Amino acid sequence: MQMNDSQSIPASREQVWAALNDPDVLMQCIPGCQSLEVTGPNEMTATVVFRVGPVKATFGGKVVLSDLDPPNSYRISGEGSGGVAGFAKGGAMVRLEPQGAVVTLLHYDVDAQIGGKLAQLGARLINSTARKLAGEFFASFAEIVGGTSSAAKSSI
Amino acid sequence: MNDMTPTREQRTAALEGMGCKRKRVEDVRFTQGKGNYVDDVKLPGMLHGDFVRSPHPHARVKSINSEEALKVPGVLAVITAETLKTVNLAWMPTLAGDVQMVLADGKVLFQNQEVAFVVATDRYAADDGVNKVVVEYEPLPPLVDPFKSMDPDAPVLREDLAGKTTGAHGPRKHHNHIFEWKVGDKELTDAAFSKAEVAIKEMISYHRTHPSPLETCQCVCSFDKVKGELTIWGTFQAPHVIRTVVSLIAKLPEQKIHVIAPDIGGGFGNKVGAYPGYICAAVASIVTGKPVKWVEDRIENLTATSFARDYHMTTEIAATRDGKVTGLRVHVLADHGAFDACADPSKWPAGFFNIVTGSYDFPTAHLAVDGVYTNKAPGGVAYRCSFRVTEAAYCIERAMDIMAQKLNMDPAELRLKNFIKPEQFPYHSALGWEYDSGDYHTAMRKMMETTGYAALRKEQAEKREAFRRGETREIMGLGVSFFTEIVGAGPSKNCDILGIAMFDSCEIRMHPTGAGIARMGTKSQGQGHETTWAQIIATEIGIPADNIQVEEGNTDTAPYGLGTYGSRSTPVAGAAIAMAARKIKAKAQMIAAYKLEVHEDDLEWDIDGFRVKGLPERTMSMKDICWAAYNSVPPGMEPGLEAVSYYDPPNMTYPFGAYLCVMDIDVDTGVYKVRRFYALDDCGTRINPMIIEGQVHGGLTEAFAIAMGQEIRYDDDGNVVTGSFMDFFMPTAVETPHWETDFTVTPSPHHPIGAKGVGESPNVGGVPAFSNAVNDAFSFLGATHIQMPHDYWRNWKAAKDLGAVA
Repeated sequence: MQMNDSQSIPASREQVWAALNDPDVLMQCIPGCQSLEVTGPNEMTATVVFRVGPVKATFGGKVVLSDLDPPNSYRISGEGSGGVAGFAKGGAMVRLEPQGAVVTLLHYDVDAQIGGKLAQLGARLINSTARKLAGEFFASFAEIVGGTSSAAKSSI
Repeated sequence: MNDMTPTREQRTAALEGMGCKRKRVEDVRFTQGKGNYVDDVKLPGMLHGDFVRSPHPHARVKSINSEEALKVPGVLAVITAETLKTVNLAWMPTLAGDVQMVLADGKVLFQNQEVAFVVATDRYAADDGVNKVVVEYEPLPPLVDPFKSMDPDAPVLREDLAGKTTGAHGPRKHHNHIFEWKVGDKELTDAAFSKAEVAIKEMISYHRTHPSPLETCQCVCSFDKVKGELTIWGTFQAPHVIRTVVSLIAKLPEQKIHVIAPDIGGGFGNKVGAYPGYICAAVASIVTGKPVKWVEDRIENLTATSFARDYHMTTEIAATRDGKVTGLRVHVLADHGAFDACADPSKWPAGFFNIVTGSYDFPTAHLAVDGVYTNKAPGGVAYRCSFRVTEAAYCIERAMDIMAQKLNMDPAELRLKNFIKPEQFPYHSALGWEYDSGDYHTAMRKMMETTGYAALRKEQAEKREAFRRGETREIMGLGVSFFTEIVGAGPSKNCDILGIAMFDSCEIRMHPTGAGIARMGTKSQGQGHETTWAQIIATEIGIPADNIQVEEGNTDTAPYGLGTYGSRSTPVAGAAIAMAARKIKAKAQMIAAYKLEVHEDDLEWDIDGFRVKGLPERTMSMKDICWAAYNSVPPGMEPGLEAVSYYDPPNMTYPFGAYLCVMDIDVDTGVYKVRRFYALDDCGTRINPMIIEGQVHGGLTEAFAIAMGQEIRYDDDGNVVTGSFMDFFMPTAVETPHWETDFTVTPSPHHPIGAKGVGESPNVGGVPAFSNAVNDAFSFLGATHIQMPHDYWRNWKAAKDLGAVA
């Protein structure tokens, strides 16, 4: 599954970059994220409740940040297993483009793979689900980073 | 003769014998919810098993941790390959001469492969236990595309076969190669092509699909430790074969294994093979000392137990300019998945695919089939067809249409020009079969006259003009299909399963009051055997069908038989019934002669008893003979009236038929409408016309499903993406077109009652009819071959690719 888009965020590039590297912000923004713990430099473990169509599962796995080019871009990737529900792995190349002092355009290029029951039952729902999740992520992210309001934790 | 004496017509009608549209006796219980299926079997203390399955299509299994699963209340055991190794059952033999993992042994090779078996006090607990088993996998690159399976750098799937250059069917060319099977005269065929005035070549794919019976595969195994006996209730199309296989692999004496196939909710080939679930349930019962039930769910059925087809057929026909075929050359790439678990007679790695010359008089032909491994579920069963016959029929029927298009000839005319002629039967085909009987021209012409074929072609031409003028967005296709099946496997000279000749059997026992029981080696899964078998006996021995009970499926009571699949029941077991009935009749004649005080030769058969020649009032009914058989047989004769027959057929039977599908397709949406579907079947002698019609309806519906959308599709990562009825097309009454049925009768000359078998013909003939209709609709826009399945999206895509849609 591949997906790319961009999102305008009402904050400076440096602010956005800092937020992108802040586990607390990430945890608040990742839809369904139950926990996110830093385990090493640029490494975290996460628990995420993920749902595609009729399949809902708790995924445990690790998240790695790589190809860091502050404050321009990085790659965030992860893989996790949801037991009988299957597995997911993938990543996103994230690139920041300043649009003036307080606006940053965030480009993302996602490449993800799912397997197991998720793929069997959710195949035709996966793209729309991924788009919806990405939408939720950036809506929360823009709110938190833009400081317009405190982001409500996404509910699944 | 007084008025109360029944007429001969009334006596015949009272028998409800062959030719009678007798209502199905089994439906009395089925329509009242009184069927007895495997899942209805509930034994005291019975446990339930459920599988942990692999989410990966190809991975190394690094560890399996059952600790948490065993803490789930109700979970009693978790069986893994390591457990099975202690009883030497981690792997099992397949019917195709390969071996298959029962539970993942070091590796998984397809998505949803069985990894561990959780046994619990109820199904819910088992499922909870499955969720708690932790399996650590190391994913390996999946091999999904069969065309890449023999690339030099293709991943090694079957590490257990390392270094084995010879398989069950000869040399292996590559680590993912299973077999190569060649038939026919290559030199002669190549020569025909080099001299050909016209030739076509097309890669025709018959996609992977699944028999998908509504009742999934299931069993209950109960091991009695005291007696050392194993009883298995299961959804088995071939119960005796299962008993023998279990005896051989579990090393249990065969008399201590009792296999019972109760009512079965559809089989279509899915229930021929032996599956890990059966082995695991049996082992679990032996381990726990309690009965264990295993019932597949829908996803498991579609994704793990025996798929069908997945044949990729590169097909060439050579012909003269005026349309006489001169040669056929076919290469098949057969995707068998992770293990070769095809359910074919043992010596036939590609089944009877060499029927691919079809109904046509090809002077020469050559066929080569390469079987390969991929990371997909094993199987390759005959889904409502004889072994690989629907693939063959689709191949030749599509290719004939492609040739007709190239020659600018009508497809019906090309077929008529090349049919085997009635006087050529018995006909020896270029690929080695002896066709028993046929009258193809009559059947084809009847189809053309009844449907108004010429007028339909005229209408099509007008519609095409209207389309070109922009007056309509609908295109019309005529799908002609003329198939020859090969069923009734089979003669012991060339058919066996694991060394057992493919005969079948019947035992008839007549009771004193003129009733009786017939026990069979076959097993109905919905075919209506209880109805039709009694009709054969009724006609043969003059006892009303209602007085004959038919019993199948219990290996303790039934004579040994090879079961029901490949339309073999009527050609093989139907013959055994007639032969057993004739033995009864011969003894009855001796009893009647004794009672009537005449010589046997002075008697003649008359509907329901014997009469003295020239003295029609001196008669003895079969009912009275039954009574006499138990109290006053001739001196020296044993009392009783029973017989058994094991019938080894001298040849296969070759049913055929002419089908026409009229279809309209909206190019802008791809939506099709089957305007008309006409199916003429010739299955030889017709035992019960109503059941034949029902069989044809069912087979056509499955053909419609397959051709128009039903598919087991894998994505590039090896995920099954059509693993439920949300995505796997299962037509209901809403989608299913109206069927018109018709027939001709060309009896089989070698079958005792001339019957040929019909249950699968409509699937064999139906699929090419639908596909030819779609292809014919698009042909005037420049299409030569559009691959199945022809769902709305693919139709729209075809229209778009051909430039008919912006």
